[in-house]
Amino acid sequence: MLDVSAFWEALHIIVASAQSWLWIVPGLIVGLVFSAVPGISISMAMAIVLPLSLYLEFFPAIVFLTSVYTGGVFGGSVPAILMNIPGSPSSYATTFDGYPMTLKGQHNEALGLALFSSTLCCMLGYLFLLLMIEPMAAIVIKIGPIEMFVVALWGLLLLGSLGSEYVTRGILAAAFGILLGTIGMNTAGYMRGTMGIPYLLDGISPIPAMIGLLAAGQLLTLVTKDFIVDGGSSRTVSLRRIISGCLDTFKYPGVLLRGTVIGIIMGIIPGVGSAVANLISYAETKRAAPDGDTFGQGNPKGVIGAEAAVASGEGGSMATMLTLGIPGHGAVAVLLAAFMMHNVVAGPSLIRQHKPMVYALILNNIIEAVALLAVGLGFIYVASNVVRLRTRYIVPVVLVLAIMGTYSLDGTIAGPLTLFVFTLIGAAMVRYKYPVAATVVGLLLGRMLETQAVLSYELISGQPAYILRRPAALAILAVMMLSLGVSAWSRRRRRRAAGTAATQQSTGSAVIGAAH
Amino acid sequence: MTPLEGREMDDRRSRYVIDWGHLIFLAAIGAWVLWYLLDAISASLNIHNLLLVAPLAVVALCLCLAILPQCFRRAGEFEAEPSAPDAHGASALGSTSLRKLAPVGGLVVALGLYVSLLSFIGFDVATWLFVLATMLICGERRWLPLVLYPLLVSLVLIGAFRVLLPYPMYTLVI
Repeated sequence: MLDVSAFWEALHIIVASAQSWLWIVPGLIVGLVFSAVPGISISMAMAIVLPLSLYLEFFPAIVFLTSVYTGGVFGGSVPAILMNIPGSPSSYATTFDGYPMTLKGQHNEALGLALFSSTLCCMLGYLFLLLMIEPMAAIVIKIGPIEMFVVALWGLLLLGSLGSEYVTRGILAAAFGILLGTIGMNTAGYMRGTMGIPYLLDGISPIPAMIGLLAAGQLLTLVTKDFIVDGGSSRTVSLRRIISGCLDTFKYPGVLLRGTVIGIIMGIIPGVGSAVANLISYAETKRAAPDGDTFGQGNPKGVIGAEAAVASGEGGSMATMLTLGIPGHGAVAVLLAAFMMHNVVAGPSLIRQHKPMVYALILNNIIEAVALLAVGLGFIYVASNVVRLRTRYIVPVVLVLAIMGTYSLDGTIAGPLTLFVFTLIGAAMVRYKYPVAATVVGLLLGRMLETQAVLSYELISGQPAYILRRPAALAILAVMMLSLGVSAWSRRRRRRAAGTAATQQSTGSAVIGAAH
Repeated sequence: MTPLEGREMDDRRSRYVIDWGHLIFLAAIGAWVLWYLLDAISASLNIHNLLLVAPLAVVALCLCLAILPQCFRRAGEFEAEPSAPDAHGASALGSTSLRKLAPVGGLVVALGLYVSLLSFIGFDVATWLFVLATMLICGERRWLPLVLYPLLVSLVLIGAFRVLLPYPMYTLVI
């Protein structure tokens, strides 16, 4: 598994390349700041600094870019927790419990939990990659549309755990989201729902749509409030409480481990990435938790579960890029471009010919995760002061940043317009109690679901037994079913326990009443 | 309770009230889904085109019909239904009070104007006007912050984005 001599050579490369160490902290800060702005993606941040990396040697250049990536993976969760607006789609599930924790005055702890679970699981992801990089290529190459379709279905299972006052409105919101996600030209070349607008050929851009839907529920509500958090005493910013939140992460090793495994698997699959991983991990954490009913009301496990999967997914997507040269998503594509600009070709030959360099890159990512702990701590300490600012100063700035962030996606007015249209839709949904979260999940998964359904249909057509020849798809299906079964069983057990407790309580009060 | 009061209450209970806002929103979703289905069908009847869209659109339309009765309620039920704040704090949008809804509506209008004017009056001037309007909507009345803050935000943010973005950004002053 681990080539020891290459490992020692990798350590030598890291120690000898002192210049690369200098680029870790600036890279992390760039990643944190950019991804904390709603609308600006990690890939955008990396693309902005890509030309700068041309002036560096190969190793320091990649260290700088991966530092931006590592910082960016965590940065999106800061606005998700403090303002209920995720910096990127991969931080979406973090809002479910992170923001309710902020409303309860536990923003320090929530940010600490997110930071520590993010860094810890990032390290675990890369450690796994270090050990498994060689056999990984053989596994990744076997992943096909059926596996990806099953993964998309798994992501949709989150809808069941979102909870809604009206079940029918929840399902309609999800169906509406999925249909919106299929607008444009599909994988078979058919064009639907574009109304002749060229911007819609590639479908609705999910980032401005997501921000619009969520901004409606959040920023429009903040207009009527003076501060994000009610009660002056709850608005304190305390480094001690942030660190205590960090340490609380250790109370939930199972959640961390489950999130890490889900993140790695989802990260490995090209085109899936952390946007789906955090949804699945959140849903699975909620399903497995004995206090699952308190999710969505500020349960720390919800924050850890979501963040763990996002951070470990980084290692997974790097694995696919390094072993096969396939970029799973935008950020890794920028990294691949940096490889090419330095005349290095990622893929099987890279591991065969430059194994110590690959090991050095992986080890350096672990060092970056450790550095993120210190840099991130300072960043969230500064960022959490947003709860002390009056909303009249926050709301306009966040909206301007969101508009500019969506403009920066392609330099056209399509992004800001999409944001505005979805703000209107989101406002109506919140007013009439349709769960916005279901539409966002549908929108994020719709295109992937349709693409993989069409490709799977092509493969299975006429030979249903084909699915039996896909052990990975069967394994994912089995895990999904098992998870659903276990959650149904534990829910039944909880309901029984609650029923027994209620009976005992009523018997007890009857006895006390009789004694009086 | 007098017999007259009892009869009045019975009358109120038997009277149905239409939630027009919800009805219009539901009709809009239903109309869009139907249009999308027809548009997809007109594009092609091939299975590769309709595999997901057609069944899902039919399900969505059935759900619209299932939700339709929820737009009609007995008179007392609308009054009794509390606009409880949820964990995500979206209570203002669910409010029926004009005092709470007016600033929300104001911000939506300001956002719409900001987005549509960006390309015409420039990113800098539009941002300055939007920040000023939003501060006023949020309740700021002191003249010094109203003068300085929008100016500072427009200069710093638009200046920074102009430097960072590889795309052209139309500005009037900066």
